Amino acid sequence: MTFLYIFAGSAVAVALLVALAAWAGTPYQGPDFTETEARRLFAEEFPTEPIIGLWLAADGAVARAGDRALVLFRVGDGYASRSAPWSAALAARPEKGRLAIPTGDFAAPKARISLAAWPPDDAALGEACA
Amino acid sequence: MMKAPFDVVTLATPFFVLLVILEILAARFLHTRGAYEAKDTAASLGMGLGSTVAGLLIGGVTAAATLFTWEHRAFTIPYTAWWAWVALFLLEDFTYYVFHRVSHERRFWWAAHVNHHTSQHYNLSTALRQTWTGGVAGTWLLWLPLVFFGFPPGMVAVQKGISLVYQFWIHTEAIGRLPKPIEFIFNTPSHHRVHHARNPRYLDRNYAGILIIWDRLFGTFEEESAEEPCRYGIVKNLGDFNIVRVAFHEWIGIGKDLISARSIREVIGYVFGPPGWSPDGSRETSSVIKARWRASVAQQGQGEAADRPGA
Repeated sequence: MTFLYIFAGSAVAVALLVALAAWAGTPYQGPDFTETEARRLFAEEFPTEPIIGLWLAADGAVARAGDRALVLFRVGDGYASRSAPWSAALAARPEKGRLAIPTGDFAAPKARISLAAWPPDDAALGEACA
Repeated sequence: MMKAPFDVVTLATPFFVLLVILEILAARFLHTRGAYEAKDTAASLGMGLGSTVAGLLIGGVTAAATLFTWEHRAFTIPYTAWWAWVALFLLEDFTYYVFHRVSHERRFWWAAHVNHHTSQHYNLSTALRQTWTGGVAGTWLLWLPLVFFGFPPGMVAVQKGISLVYQFWIHTEAIGRLPKPIEFIFNTPSHHRVHHARNPRYLDRNYAGILIIWDRLFGTFEEESAEEPCRYGIVKNLGDFNIVRVAFHEWIGIGKDLISARSIREVIGYVFGPPGWSPDGSRETSSVIKARWRASVAQQGQGEAADRPGA
């Protein structure tokens, strides 16, 4: 019974602390996905993957490296990165302006970014691969 | 002293709450370092709350094992002796170092510990992002030798609690460097920021609980560098704030790998190898990531030396 009281009290404290954190509004300034910043982050996250094409969104970026798609996507005020087969990335279609690339990883099953113009047209792909 | 006369962590909980409030308010009004994001805070505190339930579920097993060990102890150490507390402080802290190192360097135990590192933030709420599966992973077994050698179980429980409470306050960016003698002996916010960083330079470093001397002795110490700010989180950060994912993602990863394993060697490697181990080396362990980083630093150094006038 004592445990239940402590648990209930702690749950209330958790709710109040989360509300306080939301009210305080002191997040990190997350990455802005400009071309320079995206290339820097890709080099950091995938140092052995040479990028041959890059597509930018406000909340992430997709890059092509050989037969892999590399994705950076915003998570809160931070970000995550994953890679997926390029074919899987090409097969993904934006819904309501959001692209969700399946990664096959339970830790981040879908890399979601606001990339409405997807898949890239043949010209852009040819340019990327040239 | 079979049972701890009080639970150090329960007693300290109101202070945990108070300090989190103060850290948030200081960041908001005094602009001290310490970013908070509501979803991240909810995940951290939710994990902390859930860990109390998880602890309760495994509590009977740990109590029975502790009692059994105590009944078969080699010596009886009096809990009223001051030297017993000094010895226990050192031995318990060393046990924590071993536990923590194993929890990072072997995947089975990493699966239970990784949740604590999944936040991309480093603040006092991160300290409360506690494991739900540590009991099942059996890391508590590491403390049984202390009981076997004669430290009363209640005494060990008190010292474990003191260690846990100590480690709370070091989860902050608001405190920079402390005076050198303190930084030399104790685990500090600076040392522990390094431990939570995902920069290759900082991976698998500073495992200490209270005393940083263990890392200095066993070659796992790394100083925080002003030139390289810590980036927090894990090598591949989680895709959202779902606490079920926080708690179980690495266990799911192990399960998926075991389904695809083709030999006993692969089974052992996937479960007890270092995190990131794979039979064909297609994934990266911390050692591989650090080696590549060292090579790139060495290459840069050579390049800079060659660029110097007169070279």
